[in-house]
Amino acid sequence: MSDAAIITTNNVNLWYNEKQALQSVSIKIPKNRVTSLIGPSGCGKSTLLRCFNRLNDLIDHVKITGEITLDDENIHAPSTDVVTLRKKVGMVFQKPNPFPKTIYENVAYGPRVHGVRDKAELDKIVEQSLRHAAIWDEVKERLNDSALGLSGGQQQRLCIARTLAVEPEVILMDEPCSSLDPIATAKIENLIERLKEDYTVIIVTHNMQQAARVSDYTGFMYLGKLIECGKTGQIFEHPKEELTENYITGRFG
Amino acid sequence: MIFTKKTDSAVTASKRTARLSFLKEQSVKTIFFFTALFAVIVVSFILLFLLRDSYPIFAQVGLPNFLLGPDWAPTAMVPLYGIFPLIVGTLLVTIGAMVFAVPLSIGCAIYLSELASPRTKKILKPAVELLAGIPSVVYGFFGLIVLTNFIRVSFDIPTGETWLAASLLLGVMALPTIISVSEDAISSVPHEYKEGSLAIGATRWQTISRVLVPAALSGIAAAVILGIGRVVGETMAVLMVAGNAAIIPDPIWNILSPLRTLTATLGIEMGEVSVGSEHYSALFGIAVVLLVITLIINLSAVAILRHLNEARAKGPARKPLVSSATKESLSRFAEVIGIALFLIFLLAAAPWWLVALALLIIGAWYFGRDRLSQKHIQTIAFGLVGLATVIVLAILVIILQDIVINGLPAISWEFLTQPPKDLGRAGGIFPAIVGTLYLVMGAIAIALPLGVGAAVYLVEYTREGRITRIIRTGVDLLNGTPSIVFGLFGFAFIVLYLNVGVSLLAGQITLALMVLPTVIRTTEESLKNIPQSLREGSLALGATQWQTISRVVIPPAVPGILTGAILSIGRAAGETAPIMFTAVIFSSRFLPDSVFQPVMALPYHLFILATNVPGSSTNKYGTALVLLLLVIGFYSVAIFLRTHFQNKIRG
Ligand SMILES: Nc1ncnc2c1ncn2[C@@H]1O[C@H](COP(=O)(O)OP(=O)(O)OP(=O)(O)O)[C@@H](O)[C@H]1O
Ligand SMILES: [Mg+2]
Repeated sequence: MSDAAIITTNNVNLWYNEKQALQSVSIKIPKNRVTSLIGPSGCGKSTLLRCFNRLNDLIDHVKITGEITLDDENIHAPSTDVVTLRKKVGMVFQKPNPFPKTIYENVAYGPRVHGVRDKAELDKIVEQSLRHAAIWDEVKERLNDSALGLSGGQQQRLCIARTLAVEPEVILMDEPCSSLDPIATAKIENLIERLKEDYTVIIVTHNMQQAARVSDYTGFMYLGKLIECGKTGQIFEHPKEELTENYITGRFG
Repeated sequence: MIFTKKTDSAVTASKRTARLSFLKEQSVKTIFFFTALFAVIVVSFILLFLLRDSYPIFAQVGLPNFLLGPDWAPTAMVPLYGIFPLIVGTLLVTIGAMVFAVPLSIGCAIYLSELASPRTKKILKPAVELLAGIPSVVYGFFGLIVLTNFIRVSFDIPTGETWLAASLLLGVMALPTIISVSEDAISSVPHEYKEGSLAIGATRWQTISRVLVPAALSGIAAAVILGIGRVVGETMAVLMVAGNAAIIPDPIWNILSPLRTLTATLGIEMGEVSVGSEHYSALFGIAVVLLVITLIINLSAVAILRHLNEARAKGPARKPLVSSATKESLSRFAEVIGIALFLIFLLAAAPWWLVALALLIIGAWYFGRDRLSQKHIQTIAFGLVGLATVIVLAILVIILQDIVINGLPAISWEFLTQPPKDLGRAGGIFPAIVGTLYLVMGAIAIALPLGVGAAVYLVEYTREGRITRIIRTGVDLLNGTPSIVFGLFGFAFIVLYLNVGVSLLAGQITLALMVLPTVIRTTEESLKNIPQSLREGSLALGATQWQTISRVVIPPAVPGILTGAILSIGRAAGETAPIMFTAVIFSSRFLPDSVFQPVMALPYHLFILATNVPGSSTNKYGTALVLLLLVIGFYSVAIFLRTHFQNKIRG
């Protein structure tokens, strides 16, 4: 890959109890690009994604070996603070998960926990993030309503705004559109397109067209292994591996 | 021809069986309906009899004078029946208990739900339940012997029987309720919230304090209200440590003053009053006031919890109940009030160095908190949460070890098998053990069929509607009724009105009414856990509803029902207030010959030994230990059954 990498993994293995979910995965995630991860259900896409912000730490009995670096720093090093890491690597989940707070409070939550107190500054961050997430016009009249009253697509964009408010370097998205209708999906895809100017985006998706549309790079995973990774055009048009070709063309048994 | 004939008779025969089985189904359903209605009937009877017996006093002094009259002196030359000091006493004890119990419980609940490893949790949760299992008379006994003494010495006052003692003791008794309900509330906050917050880079403590606890707030509120209900309705423990002077503390925040609650007044005076007198009627008036207060408290907690469950089932609410700005100012307000209350308590009682230390800490916190890093704040917060848990555990250990160490020397074969001698100073407690067993066995024999029947009706025979709502409210009301009120009702209705007399039977019935809601609830829960597909499978084979219930639904629910029954037995075995006026005598060499004779009972025996028989120290502790072991034994069996059964279901 030609672009500079922001995240690199080297021979990462991961076990849930006895069950191995990742097998020697080595991947380079290019900076300021959109990388998509595709593969059949249960192949370890979410698991890999959650390695990048160490969210797997929450699960009991998880064992990880190998090396993951962000900006050339090992994210498992004792000197790395997991809170700082997660500040740099934001995440948008499959199911929109706004907090049971107001729209404003949802977006302000991140800056607040990172120490922003000033009301004017918070207001500014909230507005910018909501604008950036392309939802400002829809919610600007009701910032003090509960976020739970928004539609699914709006909630998801709110969650993106919430992530943006912390100004991460990388945004992880785990099937962000899977519970949304085509219109909401299109909005999020446009959004991703614009996000890569400032951010590195890694997106897990089951939707092949979506991967082809939004991403610059694509990685294909199968049974816990990274089979192939490269420029999206190349993966979709001239895959090197037969497995990849079979999966992409839908000839998968 | 023959062929058709045969079919004809077969048709009529099957018609007849169909009609028969229809009749049978109907009558079974009717029986269940009446068992379900029973709770409502009991509640109305309680209200009816309390009102009937209290009417004369209301008619005579009038409700305002009764409620707001400044003096309670029912035995004076000119008797005065003003219960204002008693209401204030109840209120003050409750506030004190909450100031003590709420922070500890919430800390412990946070620890249990968010910080404890699964293994620690496995030890801690039963420990908290154990705290709930200690009978109130044992708490009272411990309070009287150890706590009041401790207070007397540390504050250098003539007697330790004070508001402080009552609040501390009742606070401890409220801990398990508040802990388990809030732990439940925090644990059931959706996991996504937690992940969302952590993924933004919030620390664990920020996630807990800003997302999880706020999201669980109404559950925690319900927990606190339930705790308040427990404190307000408690009789024996508070009676034994509060000093019982019917005065308003002077100044009002003097926590070293004795005071008297509504319940204690009933416990103390009901035994000595002559039936039908003005004083008797006034006591029933107190019971009415007490009942109304506790019912309001418990119904509001139940309403909050039910609303919460519905909200959870239906998905998120559209709008937050209170806006975030209001919430913020509310919490700031609560913070200030909390600190103010705490300071008042300190100023009133504590030595000066403690006041100085507290001021120093509060000051340091206010000025330092903006300068501390989130990491440090998290460390401090987790330290405090852990400390709360340690304190709760320490309380349990202190109480248990005191009673075990002092009680063991008393235990001997003679002690367990001989009747008491010399007013219980010597001899054993055999009749009390047997009496208690008789009481609880009778109680469960009455409560089990009624309770299971009611639960079957509620779960299997009706849809949620007006009838179930009425019945559920009846059960909730019964559940929130203080045990001393059951005692008064048992006395007025069973002992006097039905002319059963002070007897084993009267005690059994009273206890049965008291544990009925527990039986109904646990049975309901275990029935609801039976998958709907089982019922459908049986009905699809052409089984009638009763066949389905009796052969398919009830058998797998039996362990759950049994758990509820054993929990109820444990609870009934430790209760004093309901049997005090209905079933017991203090000292007897003989076992009862019939259910119409009074019996001895362990809790009452302990109560009298502790309060009225000086110089029976060893036997007191021995009785407390036996009672404790008996009750805890029942609880442990129930807890074991439940976990065993749950694991089995999970497979
Ligand atoms: N918490 C867990 N405990 C145990 N095993 C897990 C856990 N989470 C995931 N797994 C297992 O690890 C494997 C990879 O799971 P993962 O969620 O990463 O798959 P995925 O590629 O994201 O699938 P999907 O496309 O369905 O989301 C699966 O076999 C799954 O069963
Ligand atoms: Mg996944």
